[in-house]
Amino acid sequence: MANTLRLYLTCIRNTLEAAMCLQNFPCQEVERHNKPEVELKTSTELLLNPVLICRNEAEKCLIETSINSLRISLKVKQADELENILTKKFLRFLSMRAEAFQVLRRKPVQGYDISFLITNYHCEEMQKHKLIDFIVQFMEDIDKEISELKLSVNTRGRLVATEFLKQFI
Amino acid sequence: MAGHEEADNAEAIITRIEHKSRKIESLLKQYKPVEALKTALEGSPPKTRDERCKSANWIVVHRAIMAIKDVDGMFSSLDPEYYDILMKYLYRGLSTGDRPTCDQCLRIHEKLTERAGLGCILRSLADTVNTV
Repeated sequence: MANTLRLYLTCIRNTLEAAMCLQNFPCQEVERHNKPEVELKTSTELLLNPVLICRNEAEKCLIETSINSLRISLKVKQADELENILTKKFLRFLSMRAEAFQVLRRKPVQGYDISFLITNYHCEEMQKHKLIDFIVQFMEDIDKEISELKLSVNTRGRLVATEFLKQFI
Repeated sequence: MAGHEEADNAEAIITRIEHKSRKIESLLKQYKPVEALKTALEGSPPKTRDERCKSANWIVVHRAIMAIKDVDGMFSSLDPEYYDILMKYLYRGLSTGDRPTCDQCLRIHEKLTERAGLGCILRSLADTVNTV
């Protein structure tokens, strides 16, 4: 179980290291504009093959690269309804504060839980291997956070129910 | 004109793939998974747009990949010229989402990256002409 997680993260790390070769590329259609090509997808010659890495039926990671930008979309494992709700709320909370994260995308790509958009400007300001470390660390921590949240919700629910039902004893 | 040629080629390619799959079944019965993988990767149809050919070849390669038990041993006998095409098929395997396939592909991917380096990954990402 832990082994597949390690392999999954290694695979993603290697793919990101290879795919994060971004350079500045001004927009070809509009003068003086500089847009992340992976979002627009107007010119096919600027895009690389998108890669989908699945760990199992529930967890997957889509990596799309272009000449000046890279988009990583993650689908996090959600075992039951409660985890579903917790994941959605938690990741929405993070996405709304995307400004603070810089590389986070405000809305996840259709079919995924959270998306990152890394542009050549990010690669110039920040170190490439640190960005990759961040993404991989994020993936590890998300699972831990969701389990912790689930545990605390269940504990609190149990405490509240016990207290409430005491009055009926 | 090119369309007709493609169609003929597609039929020819699919027949070749069927021959290949029979050969691979016999190789697997003789416990030679590495040979089977080499055969599967060899005749990969290049530059064909036909999805059926690609799917047919993928099924054959998938069979060979799942039969591999000893990954390190496989790399010691696999020639480097097959690394790139194997990487492309690994990514196709990873996109299926089927648990045993993904497990096996992740295992092979790690070892293949150690062997072939990041260039192999980048070539599979950048090659939009010969896709699997």
